[in-house]
Amino acid sequence: MSKKDEKEKAIALTGDSEASSPPDGAKKEENGSGGSILLFFIVGFIASLIVGWIVFPKLLYSQKKQPIDFNHALHVETVDEGCQSCHFFRDDGSFSGVPKLTQCTGCHEEAQGEDPEETKLVEEYVAKGREVPWLVYSRQPNCVFFSHAAHVKMAKMECVTCHGPIGESSHARIYEENRITGISRDIWGKNIAGLKRNSWDRMKMDECAECHASEAIKTEVSIETPMLGFFNNIIRLAFPGTEKPGRKNSVQTQHEACFVCHK
Amino acid sequence: MKNDQAKKYGMVIDLDKCTGCGACMVACMAENNIPFKEDESNKLDSITWMRVYQLTNGKPYPETDICYIPRPCMHCEGDHGHSPCVSVCPATATDYSQKTGIVSQIYTRCFGCRYCMAACPYHARYFNWWDPVWPNGMEKFLNPSVSPRMRGVVEKCSFCFHRHQLAMNKAFVEGRRELEENEYQTSCAQACPSGAIAFGDLNNPKHTVNQLAQPDNAHGGQPKNPEVFRLLEKLGTNPKVYYVSSREWVRRAGDNYLKNENPGKAH
Amino acid sequence: MKMDRRSFLSFVIGGAAGTALSPLPWKVTDDLAIWSQNWSWTPVPEDGEVGYVNTTCSLCPGGCGITVRKVGDRAVKIEGMKGHPVNDGGICILGLAGLQFLYGPSRIASPMRRTGERGENKWQKISWEEAISEVSKKLADLRSKNQSHALACISGYDGGTVPRLFERFLTVYGSANFVRTPAVRDSYELGLYLMQGTQANAGFDVENADYILSFGCGIIEGWGSPVRMFKANSHWKETGVKVTQVEPRLSNTAAKSDQWIPIKPGTEVVLALGLARVIVDESLYRREFIASHTAGFDRFVQNVLKDYPPEQVEKVTGIDKAVVVSLAKTFAAAKKPLAICGRGRGAGSESAGEIMAVYALNALVGNINQKGGVWAIPDPNYIRWPELEMDAQAAAGMQKPRVDGAGSKKYPHIRNLLHRLPEMINSTDASPVQALFVLEANPYYSVSDSAFVRKAWKKIPFIVSFSSFMDETAANADLILPNHVYLERHEDIPGAEGFIKPIIGLAKPVVNPQFDTLHAGDTIIRLAKMMGDPIAKAFPWEDYEACLEETFGDKWEALGEKGYWIDAGFEPSPWNKAFETASKKFEFASDDIGASFQNAVVKAEGEESAYPLLLIPYDSPRISAGRIGNPPFVIKTVADTVIKGKNGFIEVNPKTAIALGLSEGKSAVISTPRGSAKVRIHLFEGIMPGVVAMPTGLGHTAYDSFLAGKGVNINELIGPVEDGSSGLNAAWGIRAKLGKA
Repeated sequence: MSKKDEKEKAIALTGDSEASSPPDGAKKEENGSGGSILLFFIVGFIASLIVGWIVFPKLLYSQKKQPIDFNHALHVETVDEGCQSCHFFRDDGSFSGVPKLTQCTGCHEEAQGEDPEETKLVEEYVAKGREVPWLVYSRQPNCVFFSHAAHVKMAKMECVTCHGPIGESSHARIYEENRITGISRDIWGKNIAGLKRNSWDRMKMDECAECHASEAIKTEVSIETPMLGFFNNIIRLAFPGTEKPGRKNSVQTQHEACFVCHK
Repeated sequence: MKNDQAKKYGMVIDLDKCTGCGACMVACMAENNIPFKEDESNKLDSITWMRVYQLTNGKPYPETDICYIPRPCMHCEGDHGHSPCVSVCPATATDYSQKTGIVSQIYTRCFGCRYCMAACPYHARYFNWWDPVWPNGMEKFLNPSVSPRMRGVVEKCSFCFHRHQLAMNKAFVEGRRELEENEYQTSCAQACPSGAIAFGDLNNPKHTVNQLAQPDNAHGGQPKNPEVFRLLEKLGTNPKVYYVSSREWVRRAGDNYLKNENPGKAH
Repeated sequence: MKMDRRSFLSFVIGGAAGTALSPLPWKVTDDLAIWSQNWSWTPVPEDGEVGYVNTTCSLCPGGCGITVRKVGDRAVKIEGMKGHPVNDGGICILGLAGLQFLYGPSRIASPMRRTGERGENKWQKISWEEAISEVSKKLADLRSKNQSHALACISGYDGGTVPRLFERFLTVYGSANFVRTPAVRDSYELGLYLMQGTQANAGFDVENADYILSFGCGIIEGWGSPVRMFKANSHWKETGVKVTQVEPRLSNTAAKSDQWIPIKPGTEVVLALGLARVIVDESLYRREFIASHTAGFDRFVQNVLKDYPPEQVEKVTGIDKAVVVSLAKTFAAAKKPLAICGRGRGAGSESAGEIMAVYALNALVGNINQKGGVWAIPDPNYIRWPELEMDAQAAAGMQKPRVDGAGSKKYPHIRNLLHRLPEMINSTDASPVQALFVLEANPYYSVSDSAFVRKAWKKIPFIVSFSSFMDETAANADLILPNHVYLERHEDIPGAEGFIKPIIGLAKPVVNPQFDTLHAGDTIIRLAKMMGDPIAKAFPWEDYEACLEETFGDKWEALGEKGYWIDAGFEPSPWNKAFETASKKFEFASDDIGASFQNAVVKAEGEESAYPLLLIPYDSPRISAGRIGNPPFVIKTVADTVIKGKNGFIEVNPKTAIALGLSEGKSAVISTPRGSAKVRIHLFEGIMPGVVAMPTGLGHTAYDSFLAGKGVNINELIGPVEDGSSGLNAAWGIRAKLGKA
């Protein structure tokens, strides 16, 4: 941006008529510069807000289309056991996660309807025996160990609590990948500020901690994010004697050893 | 509390049965995605969570005797979980779990200061001086349950904690919260062709490790079995790996004893 | 309005304030933290459904059952198969590293034709069609010149359908030269044949013996079926079974034994006969067996044992005569004592005299075909293919004597004499071998006296390797037709070394072939078909799998399900039916046997004056020394007193070292009549003064950068020493000298 453009933009933004008069006198310039200092501050402020809130998120995430526009709603209607029909627990306690091609083949050996997406599945993947390269919205970084069995089987949690009402969607939404980390946007959440309305809007460690900080769940696995631990430590140091007596599961964190969720 | 009983997982290694074959080392490497380099003969930078050392009685031919001693991480309890490495970690990357007695190591949390390595009297911790490289195609055998480590972090034996996690998953699906002894075994214990390595809950009198070592929890876990010893017992690290040997010179070699001292009767 | 310095600063401050109030800095910080914890170049192993495949390991003749853990279609870990009769859940160090062979860097990815000089490692990828037709043309050419007997095949094994298909090919082509690599079983087979008249393998009921006398066997270093022996060793510890190890070096076995008796190398047979003499003198033998079921006992006592009084034994072996007497008494006093021999892992043959002296000891205590004793295990005779129709050329070729002389008048009872091959090739102008197949073997590396082998190799005009890996033999071949590795192929694995029940393991494909390789069974069938009748006619199967299925017939399904077939109820023949010698008794002495005992002590090559030391090889469980090289995981476990960088170490007793002015870690040169090599010194109190030892399995020139160039191939230093009576290679070491480098 040239200086001239910037000046014009500043005028347009502030509507300051004085600024349009030619800056010729030293005194005037001083006055004008006082105003323009504020002006430049505001310009910088607003521009960076725009960059930070609007441009940056667009730049940060790349957008990818799912290989097949999957209709969850249609499938949930057809199958007998809801989510578990395709996303099930194996006998060894592991969770199947995203289905493999063989599960699709069970029904889609041949196209059942006219839908071009289904035709694509049958022709491109089933017929060729290729796995569908699904993009997984909820994939965590490799350092995370998450036990579906503990949460779904033992704690009887609903899938929706973390994954949201994805079963009601009739189209696969765009998969957004963080260009820095390579991780799905769903982990940080759609809201760039990290705010959320629903329990499934984010999947960061804070979300784990949110539940696990409640007394009932603490007895099982108590966790604390490093940042939370940092603040808690400050509070502990500042106001000795205020920490709640609790079960101490580990030495360093006073909580569960990090191993439970990290590998 | 549903699972009130705290576990204390530990190991008892029978040095009379151990043949020094090295199967435990490779079982560990294969299970835990341990990297390997072209030259691994500099043992200071050769990562082996489980390492088999050779001891000798120091006598001349033909009175010479040798004994092999496998050394995993000792998962020291120290005094109430203050094991040497956990106490010094500034990054909260290593921790002692009171629930399982396992000393964890979180690679993504570690920033590689190596205080823990200096603190560990057993040389059980290793630093990744290089990024791991698997020759083209070899990354195919990597175990998804264990994340490969990157350059600049410290790693060590985890008692195959991921196997505990997987076993717990199975138990959960079957509606259980407790594991049988054979459901959670480390890779080395499972592989040892001599059956020299026993693994289990030291607090559980039904488990082999408890029966073999007879740990005295009132006295820092010291073994009551006179043929059982721990490495560097006198340091008070309270390790959870016990060794059995019928040979006195081997038991003596486990610690720096004075000539008139009796092994197994330290303190 | 002009953008002056202050305005600019103001703009920047405004920008900073706005940025701070936007998510940008916090989000970027968080993302950078995540990025720095999960480098994109650190591999993330793909997760998936876990499955297990049971199969049989064929990395050694141990015959262990293995369970391969798979995640999705990747094999991620090999474990021992629970409940398998041989290894019941246990597994050895090499078996654990098997996936490094499957996915390893030294795999050969497709058929290849040599383009440079041999060993230059210049290759051209070719198609299977082209590769097989090239072999076919060469062989047809040879056959048309009435030279079919000049085709030879060196194989690492001879049981099972694949080697039998190769043998069948050679037969119908017109060559008797199918040569298996040596093993101690050659000696055991010979002993069984001469003394018991049976064609059988030796089995050892180690689990039920109550005293073990081992003449240098590496019981926990790979002897027999390794995992079974490890388990037996632990069983002995639990039940108080004592083990006596007779060996010049404190091996792992010696260290774990209850009694280590160091002996002058090569004199074990003298000790065995000396013990027999004490047992006879003191009438400690089992009369009921000796009286009714043996022949030639008196002749044995008079002709043989007279030469071995304890004083004489002490003089030769260096073992105190009191120890000899007490050892004999301990052995005879045990209820089920078992004497075994075969140095190290038993990767080489022993002299007929030694093997029979050990058999004689077992016979004296009646421990033949008894609980806790030595058993004769018949081959599970399951391969019954249609009779061969041979044309005149084939018949004529088969009439020609074998190149190695096995089965000839000079070596009547021996089936394979690989060590004679280089000598036969080098002793004539035109090599008697014009075309060579190499199947699951690495003779270029593993046959002793490497320099001589190389010389012979040059004289063979056409060499085809079927190796899956770029081993030394493949690297020096003309054509490579790479086999699937054992985890990619179906194959029957009959027998488990030293096991007491007839057993057949089945290897199953765990994963799809990773490269453009072909099952060696299929290669030979396709080659036969391409060559046309009468050879093609001998291979009526469509492919190898059809052949395998047909061979097993109704057993096939059960075999596939369980992973092995075992004759669980097998019991050894009772004494009155066990012996098929002329006398129908156990023969202590016959004309053949007498000669063997007279040549009992095999001398090391070299003159003592020039070579004052004795060099012996030793086997380490952490170094694979068979046909297959050590994989990266296993080489990683080797101590830095065995390999440091590229340097290999030689074990020397401190006394010997002081006399030579050598100290720990110093470079030195070891020289023998066959060659010399640079080594470093490792002082070891556990080795007899005057004896030096080097590990087997090092000094590879091929394979990958994890293995190649490390240490010294001991075959460069040792040559074969022929056992005068049997023709077997009975070398146990060689004379040597050690000097400063």
